[in-house]
Amino acid sequence: MTGSWIDIIIFAPLAPISGVILFWFLQLVFIESEKYFLSKIKDRHIALCRFTNFLGVFFQTICHALGYTVTGSGISEFYLSVHYGKVAPKRKREGFFEWFSNGFLFIGPFFIPSLLLLLTLFFLIPSGFHFTIQHEYTFSESLINFGANLYMFSRSFIGFLVTIDLFHPAHIGFCILFLLIGLGIRPSYIKQEKKREKIDMLYDLRNIKNYLLNKPLYGLIFFITSYIFFYISFLLHSNWYLSFFSILGWLSIIAIISILVAHLLIFMIRITDRIPSIWRYMPYIIMIVSYIGMRVFFLFIPLEHSKSLSLLGMFILTIISTWFILKRETNKFKTIIDMESLRDLDGSR
Amino acid sequence: MDQDELLENERVERILSPHPLSFMKLQSLCIFLLIWGILIGWFANFSEWCNSWFNGFIQIILVWSIVLLIWGIIASLVTIRWRIFFLYLGVVLVGILLIIWQNWQSITGIVIPYYTIFVSIIGFLLVELYRRSHKYIISNHRIIFKGGVLTKEERTLRYDKISDINYKQGILGQIFGFGTVIPISQSGFGLGSDSTFAAGGVAVGKTRAKFFGLAGGEKEVQTPRARSYYELHGVYPFKEIKKLVESLVQGSVITQYQQEQVEFQREQVDIQREMRDLLKKQLELPGDLSINNVEEESSEEEEE
Repeated sequence: MTGSWIDIIIFAPLAPISGVILFWFLQLVFIESEKYFLSKIKDRHIALCRFTNFLGVFFQTICHALGYTVTGSGISEFYLSVHYGKVAPKRKREGFFEWFSNGFLFIGPFFIPSLLLLLTLFFLIPSGFHFTIQHEYTFSESLINFGANLYMFSRSFIGFLVTIDLFHPAHIGFCILFLLIGLGIRPSYIKQEKKREKIDMLYDLRNIKNYLLNKPLYGLIFFITSYIFFYISFLLHSNWYLSFFSILGWLSIIAIISILVAHLLIFMIRITDRIPSIWRYMPYIIMIVSYIGMRVFFLFIPLEHSKSLSLLGMFILTIISTWFILKRETNKFKTIIDMESLRDLDGSR
Repeated sequence: MDQDELLENERVERILSPHPLSFMKLQSLCIFLLIWGILIGWFANFSEWCNSWFNGFIQIILVWSIVLLIWGIIASLVTIRWRIFFLYLGVVLVGILLIIWQNWQSITGIVIPYYTIFVSIIGFLLVELYRRSHKYIISNHRIIFKGGVLTKEERTLRYDKISDINYKQGILGQIFGFGTVIPISQSGFGLGSDSTFAAGGVAVGKTRAKFFGLAGGEKEVQTPRARSYYELHGVYPFKEIKKLVESLVQGSVITQYQQEQVEFQREQVDIQREMRDLLKKQLELPGDLSINNVEEESSEEEEE
């Protein structure tokens, strides 16, 4: 066995934890960016913002309720609205149980919706759910294995996304869920936050910091449990510890990609908002029609990667048509002949 | 609304109709038909099971009708409306009869999806027609509820007759900003009841003698509920309408102080009326019993 004992005993367990924290932090940054773009379209699409608020509140409330259920506190009150959600326990449990259920509230919304997608993916992706076999239990080896696990999953997942079949009901269902989760994994309140405390990335971090600092003993218990879990894995020569944190990493990756796709949707809404009149719906129609057209085309002329090509064709046609409509419908004050030619005609040059 | 329908000094504040998404309960029945139509089409023609599970008239019809009927039963139990089940049953029966009548058994996999999607589109159109038949007129004196696709119904409710107002806003309503206002009149119009029934049975005996006991109970709870024609169903913008109705009702309600004032004025009028009657009587009396004589007699009595 290579690697010093200090590395194995002290540093190695931290490798996957730090990896998960890194991905989770990336997730937070993307959430913040999504929130920023949503706030830009809120005036014209208040219903969409309310809907995304509701999704956010829904996931948070479900996670909180799940926390109370897991800790055996029970649920006496469950209230859910577009702007506010509340879960009250049946039995007030203090100490570790309270801390644990609060953990579900603060950290759960980042991972539990993605878990739903991961379960769906389990039935849709044929491979990718593999874990590397760990030979060395050092910090660097753990980190490399953690990265390899994430890479294998990401490759399968992105491979699935670029070959998604939008004529398959299960794939359409996945797409809808994927978009909903992408729009919903974030702290809520797009509209009303000015009246309340600003709810953003810093607010989330502050909450989690308070959560950890208020009961440092429980945080310590969590770390000790993680270390014990690592030592058991090490002694039994298994990769359980790494696999557990790899799953958390997968959840972060799913969340990040879903937020990115949600970004595309928001970006498209922003762009089409600039198109006047009924023409603004044209890009959406072109998107659907072009995909159907491409699929029908490949039905008669079968080609390899026809699904990916259809998706690519859909994106290219939508972008080109949107650009064309935007140019045609918004350049009202510009002359057909460009200024250079006019100057030539005018003789001013 | 025609001008001749308005009362004297009546002014129309708002004319409303339900929001397009406010009948989502009915629309969801059509959405289910649409989704199931697409799914059955995919299962019967494109899926990996199209040559096994969905190979033939009987298999497709069985799967299609069983799913529709199960969904009908679930929807009926949830909404406590058995007409939903019978509606789906009607769709199933008509579909089967159509295929048998036209000898389309060989192309069931194509006919059934088209038929289901067609029925769902018809359903959407009917719901839309029903929605558009509603009209609510809020004037400064009353609320007029109008509706009916074939039979026209109308209800008028004066603000002073409203004893209570109930507001409802579902998740869709919160997102799109519409909601329902149920004005409850003093006669109880606008109130419905939720009832639950529980029953249990016990069978005693082994082979021959069997006793069967049944115990049941019913619980009824009064709840604000009215037909969509008799409430402001899914009105938009909800917050503004809520405020408007609330202020109009408040404006026509007499407060405690105003009530005391009215009572006091009534007493004053009664006293003045009595005084007037007395004066009239005195003026009608003969000369020796006129007011002056009576006053003189009374002053003499005082001197004595």
